[in-house]
Amino acid sequence: MMKKTRFWILLLTAALGASAALAATITVLVQSTAVRKRPQFFAPAAMIAKLGDTFDATGPDNGWYKTGRGYIHQSAVSSKKIKLSAGSTVAGGGGATAEEVTLAGKGFNSQVEKSYSAQNASANFAAVNVMERRSVPEVAVLEFLRKGGLLPREDAQ
Amino acid sequence: MKYWKPAAPLAAVLICGCAALQNLDVNSMTGGRVSNEQFQSATKVATAVHHGVADISESEEYYIGRAVAAQILSRYEPLDDPALNLYAQKIVQAVSMASDRPSIYRGYHVQILKSSEVNAFAAPGGFIFVTTGLLKLTRSEDELACVLAHEVAHVAKKHGLKTIKTSRLTSAFALLGTEAAKNYTSSQVAQLTDVFKGTVDDVVNNLVVKGYSRDKEYEADKFGAQYARAANYDPRALTAFLHRMEAADTAGAGGMFKTHPKASKRIDELGTLSPSADYRPSPVRERRFKAAMTL
Repeated sequence: MMKKTRFWILLLTAALGASAALAATITVLVQSTAVRKRPQFFAPAAMIAKLGDTFDATGPDNGWYKTGRGYIHQSAVSSKKIKLSAGSTVAGGGGATAEEVTLAGKGFNSQVEKSYSAQNASANFAAVNVMERRSVPEVAVLEFLRKGGLLPREDAQ
Repeated sequence: MKYWKPAAPLAAVLICGCAALQNLDVNSMTGGRVSNEQFQSATKVATAVHHGVADISESEEYYIGRAVAAQILSRYEPLDDPALNLYAQKIVQAVSMASDRPSIYRGYHVQILKSSEVNAFAAPGGFIFVTTGLLKLTRSEDELACVLAHEVAHVAKKHGLKTIKTSRLTSAFALLGTEAAKNYTSSQVAQLTDVFKGTVDDVVNNLVVKGYSRDKEYEADKFGAQYARAANYDPRALTAFLHRMEAADTAGAGGMFKTHPKASKRIDELGTLSPSADYRPSPVRERRFKAAMTL
C-alpha cells in the first residue's frame, strides 16, 4: 500500500513539475519591463508591462515566457501564486512571500529608507537620485548598439 | 503496469496550469490512493525545488542597494562629467540587457567616481560604480564593457545580497507583514530600520573593505565575459584588461588590487574566450570611446 502511495505521489509531483513548465500565470515584479516580439534581448518591444501586471504564459524556455502579447524575461516575473488582501497589504502574517512583499511595497521600503537616512546624515541619497535619473530609454540603447556594430546584421537594418 | 491504468485523468494535470493544481481533488482522481493532504505536501516540495527560495524581494533589494550606494557616495566623490557618465550608462544597460537578469526592480545604473584608486563596486539593486583610476586602465569600449559586465554579473548573481548575515533576514521576516496596514507604525519602522542598517553595513563592509570571495570574483569574470559576448562585444577584451591590471599591480596598491584575486589567477580561471559569430570590430566604437574618455 505504501509502495503504491509513493508511486502516485511521485507521479503527481512529476506532473506538477511538467505542468509548471507548460503553463502558468506570471506576475511582473519590477517597475517596468519590455514584452518583446521575439525572445531576444534586442527584439523590439510589443508593449511595456508594469509592476503587478499578470499574464497567462508558457515556459520559461531559455529564460523567456511566451504570453499572448509577446515574450517576457523570467527575471522580471514570478510564477508563484501571490495572495494580496485588499489595499495592497501583505496578508497572512510573517509567512508573506518575497513576491507579496514587493507587490505590497512592504518590507524595506521608502518609509524605512527615510528613517535610515535621518539617522545617517552622511549617506548621500541625493547623489543616488542623480544616478537613477541617468537611465537611458531602451530605444536609445538599441540605437547605441546599432551604431556601434553590436546588433546582428539582420537586426541592424 | 496496473499503476498506469488509472493514470489517464492525470494527463489532464500535464496540460493544466500550476495554480489549478492547488484546487484539484486528487483523492477522487486517484480513487483514494493519494489523499489531498499527501498531494498538497508533495506539491509544496515540488514547488520549492522548482522555484528555489528567495528571501529578499525585488523591491527590498532595490532599497538595500540605494542605501549601500548612498554609503559609497559618502566615501567617494561622484565624477561630474555628464557625457562620460551617460556613455558608461549606455554600456551598462547594453550588457545588462544581454545578461541572465536583464530586468531588476528599477534597472541598472552606473556612476563614475573621482578617485585615482583602481576600483569598481556593484551594489544590490543594480547600482554600479567605477573609479576614474580604473577607467584610465581601459583602452577600448570592449574593455570597458567587459569591466562593467563583470559588475553586472555581481548584481545578477546577487553576490551583494549573499553577504548579508542570515540572522538579519530572520529578524526582518519576523517583522514583516504582521500588520495588515498600508504603513508601519513608528515602533515597527524603528525595528526595521535597525535591521536595515545592519543589512546595509554587511554589504558595505564586504563591498568596500573586504571584497567578495575569490569564487564570486571568478564567477563574475565568467558571467561578465558571457554577457559581453552576448552583447557582441569581444570577451577577449577582459583578458587584455586583466593583463594591464597585472602590470599595474604594485606593492601596497589598494582598491581592487587589495580586494580582488591576482589578475594572473583570474586570467587562468577565465581560460580561452572567443567572440560571438556576430562580433565585428567597429571604428564607431573606437571613436566614441576616445571622445568620451577625456580624463
